[in-house]
Amino acid sequence: MTQPPNPHESVPDHDSPLDPHEAAAMLDQATKQARRRFQPNPPLLNVFRAFVVLAAFGSVWLSVRGQHPYTGPSGWAIAIAYVLVAVVIGWSASALKRSGAGVTGPTQRARNIGIGVLLVGWILVYVFQGALYKAGAPHDIVYGLYPATAPFFIIGLAGAANSAGREDWPMTATTLSVAVVAAVAAFGGPIDCWLIMGIGLCLAMLGNAAFTVWQQRRSVVRA
Amino acid sequence: MTAEELDPLIHVPTRLKIVATLAALPDGDALSFTRLQDMIGLTPGNLIIHLRKLEEADYISSNKTSNGTVTITKVALTGQGRAALDAYTRALRSLLNGL
Repeated sequence: MTQPPNPHESVPDHDSPLDPHEAAAMLDQATKQARRRFQPNPPLLNVFRAFVVLAAFGSVWLSVRGQHPYTGPSGWAIAIAYVLVAVVIGWSASALKRSGAGVTGPTQRARNIGIGVLLVGWILVYVFQGALYKAGAPHDIVYGLYPATAPFFIIGLAGAANSAGREDWPMTATTLSVAVVAAVAAFGGPIDCWLIMGIGLCLAMLGNAAFTVWQQRRSVVRA
Repeated sequence: MTAEELDPLIHVPTRLKIVATLAALPDGDALSFTRLQDMIGLTPGNLIIHLRKLEEADYISSNKTSNGTVTITKVALTGQGRAALDAYTRALRSLLNGL
């Protein structure tokens, strides 16, 4: 170990034998505390993400509603979305750093590599949007259907594959549902796809938050 | 099943907390000594003694890494330790069901 034990320190190895009820309570409490502290996606953060996606996509939908012909989201809606996303990224990075402090190993490595790949993928998806614009694709594709759904469809599937590889089934279900929402939203057309995405992603995030709360509170002894 | 049949190495408050905390990590992942100490709330000396007992029984493994100036100790639950905690949990459950 790092430091030698202090010989003058009392060592409670002779801890009084635990009553089974005490032991069960202690085991449950320690497990719940550890699950909470190792959780990179705390429920509160996911609830916040849920309302952010609803507000961001909702404001874009309000700005494009009634456009004939479709020109794309207005500047104020894009600004709201960027500010909200920046806040979520900041909180997510802080939660990830806090939960992973002092933790090393194959799962941690796979998660970090996965996040790196997803970030690169996210950028590439928007580079492709530039290619669509350059190719002369219509506005309702370049500024509507594509940015509203394609990033979430592609990144959702990639995230699901990464989470499944780590056997993180709650995150696999959430990311897969993001991809499903994106595929369904694409049928809503360039205007309503924003609203469908906002509601769908909000529900996916709330579902993940609810499952995480249940998982963290579940007793290991009284299963 | 009686309380005496519960694994005596785990059936101690501090070691129960240590094993339960390490079991919350995915299989194969390790935790630094300082983070574990922070989570359990023990002095370094006390924690070391308990970790040694668990390591002697092959319930945990420890690994030291050094970057030249700082030595970091990482602790992980072994497969044997995870199996022991599972067996302990099952025994505790059947004991409570019988009470």
